[in-house]
Amino acid sequence: MSAPGRRILVTGVSRFWGAELARRLEADAGVEQIVAVDTEGPARPLARTDFVRADIRHSLVGKLVRGLGIDTVVHAGLIVDPQQAAARTVHEINVIGTMNLLAACSGADTPVRRLIVKSSTAVYGSEPDDPSFWTEDMSRRGPARDGFSRDLDEAETYVRDYEIRHPQVAVTLLRFGNVLGEVHDSPFARLFDLPVIPTVLGFDPRLQFLDEDDAVSALTHATQGDCRGTYNVAGAGVVVLSQAIALLGKIAAPVIPFIGGTAAMRVLERLGLVDFPAEFVRLLKFGRVVDTSRLHSELGFVPQRTTIDTVMEHGRSRRVRGLLDDQAPYRYEAELEEFLRSRGRRQPDGPAATTSNGRAPAPRRRRTRSTSP
Amino acid sequence: MTRAAPARGGSRRASSNGHGAHHTTGLAPVARPAMPAVPLDTLGRLASMLAPSRLAAMRRDLPATAMAATGMLALRLRDLTGRDVIDLESLQEVISVYYRANAVHEQHQRGEFDIDGFGFDREWTEALMPIFRVIFRRYWRVETGGLENLPRSGGALLVSNHAGVLPWDGAMITVAVYDAVDRHTRALIAGWFGALPVASWFLRRSGQTLGHPDDTLRLLRGGELVLVFPEGVRGTGKPWSERYRLRRFGRGGFVDVAMRAGVPIIPVSVVGSEETYPMLADLQPIARLLGMPYFPITPTWPLLGPLGLIPLPSKWRITFHPPVTVAPPQGEDPEPWRVMEVADSIRATIQQGVAEDLRQRQRVFRG
Repeated sequence: MSAPGRRILVTGVSRFWGAELARRLEADAGVEQIVAVDTEGPARPLARTDFVRADIRHSLVGKLVRGLGIDTVVHAGLIVDPQQAAARTVHEINVIGTMNLLAACSGADTPVRRLIVKSSTAVYGSEPDDPSFWTEDMSRRGPARDGFSRDLDEAETYVRDYEIRHPQVAVTLLRFGNVLGEVHDSPFARLFDLPVIPTVLGFDPRLQFLDEDDAVSALTHATQGDCRGTYNVAGAGVVVLSQAIALLGKIAAPVIPFIGGTAAMRVLERLGLVDFPAEFVRLLKFGRVVDTSRLHSELGFVPQRTTIDTVMEHGRSRRVRGLLDDQAPYRYEAELEEFLRSRGRRQPDGPAATTSNGRAPAPRRRRTRSTSP
Repeated sequence: MTRAAPARGGSRRASSNGHGAHHTTGLAPVARPAMPAVPLDTLGRLASMLAPSRLAAMRRDLPATAMAATGMLALRLRDLTGRDVIDLESLQEVISVYYRANAVHEQHQRGEFDIDGFGFDREWTEALMPIFRVIFRRYWRVETGGLENLPRSGGALLVSNHAGVLPWDGAMITVAVYDAVDRHTRALIAGWFGALPVASWFLRRSGQTLGHPDDTLRLLRGGELVLVFPEGVRGTGKPWSERYRLRRFGRGGFVDVAMRAGVPIIPVSVVGSEETYPMLADLQPIARLLGMPYFPITPTWPLLGPLGLIPLPSKWRITFHPPVTVAPPQGEDPEPWRVMEVADSIRATIQQGVAEDLRQRQRVFRG
């Protein structure tokens, strides 16, 4: 890319992905300017990043791109954990936001030369007769079963359309697997935080995990390089759910029935016992494993931690402990308080800001069901 | 990952010919390294919490104590009667299998095991193998032929006829191959098995995977022995009146995959599986309701309830035919006419093999 400094626009800095990426890019001397666009403040204190409080659904983004001569756009704002916000907000950000962001980068005279989009392996779905490894060229056979996956599909379709219309722009689409780690909040992190882990009776899915550091490294690597294409990103190796639970020293409780599991999960969710997206039960039944050979060979990125290392490291960093382990008492709240104080600011009480940086100390806010379309 | 040194080989030898070097020292409980009082399962965990750890240790050693007592009894009976009333070697076999399975189970409880990307757990499968070997030898008295046609290394596609409602033929071919060349067979299963509780993980854990062309190619290129039943559920859901008549061999997809992977095809003919569950009728409405490909009526099922699931003790023969080398595709894709030609010739080989084996087998249930 152009030698004297790249000008990068990053979306989604109010959440883990965007904020961590901006922080890594700040350390890169080859990056002249970083512009962060989001409706909420950054999840991490950022030094030389210019923060613009704007909605990516607004046409202002287009003016920003042209006015600043942005050459690289990183769309890290795609929500891949539907529990991060209400269903309608997720739809607005993922579909309308992506559409508008791409519109802002379009046109024959666009200064944009690179587009990096963070997506999720959730686009492959999770069915009993899935192939053992999903490669990037495959797509699931049936239609999406829930609104979140449909939205993700639509967002990816916009990205593909953009790629066809703008051959001069190198588009990179990264599909991330399940991310675990100290800070990042994800459905599996919430599952593994439970004292007894509910599993689906008679099922033991194959899963892959990616460490949060590796996730951000992959995104940074793709941003700094100029390799186009679609890539699955996940840790090496495969773990079955029962093994992950055993490695964390927890107890599995096969309480989710294999017929009507989603409905049972809804009941548990209403009772405030669990907080999982709709398609999560299917993942707990049938699992999902992606082929990451293209990530290694073409993008030249190899995650530091394997799937099993990620699970074990997650257990250590989150101080996840089993019911029966006699270790020191859980001191997470104190640590969290300290962390929040060190940041010197409180999260504004907005729908997208619930758990962008670790666990909120208060119990999770219940979403009103009526908002789902 | 750390992993306890597996007792591979030793216990397998013990179970395969009954002359295990490991357990010839006597019938007293086999000396085991002192283990931390890690309870075996959830119930065990609770038990050890409630009761002194002594109880848990007793519970753990109970089977061994029982075995030792049986051993003493066997010796006493031999002294009294002058002949082996209880087969001591079988007893040792059972003990070694029990400890092997127990060790693997404990490793699993700690999460210390490796699976490959398809979900195959080698140690776990090898710990289970003796159970299937007993069925292979004592129940169906399987006779094998053409074992020299099995390759000791490299990928190959085993193609077999399929019959008998439940896929026992796959398990028996797996045992035959494992005992002959010490390799694990990776069978391709129908997609709907993935939706069945227990079966979904059991089949994957023991090395099976779904019959997806991409999966097959991946396994073959990885140098695995892949077993495929081109008849699929059309073969297992065949009525009794059509026994030993092979159904259509899919759409020749298996030949296509073998050509792409550049591996030989080994035709396998199985006789005996047809008689395990003689399917007298097929209740399609119930099958559709349950989402199954067929709902069989056999002389014992569903008349005797769960007992009807016990297969009949027919006499089996499994023959491995000489490998068929398939030429790699000239261009990008294998030519369809060549694929169909090879598929038909493989089917003919298996059909002839089945006829030959039927001639060799004098009685259906005896022998």
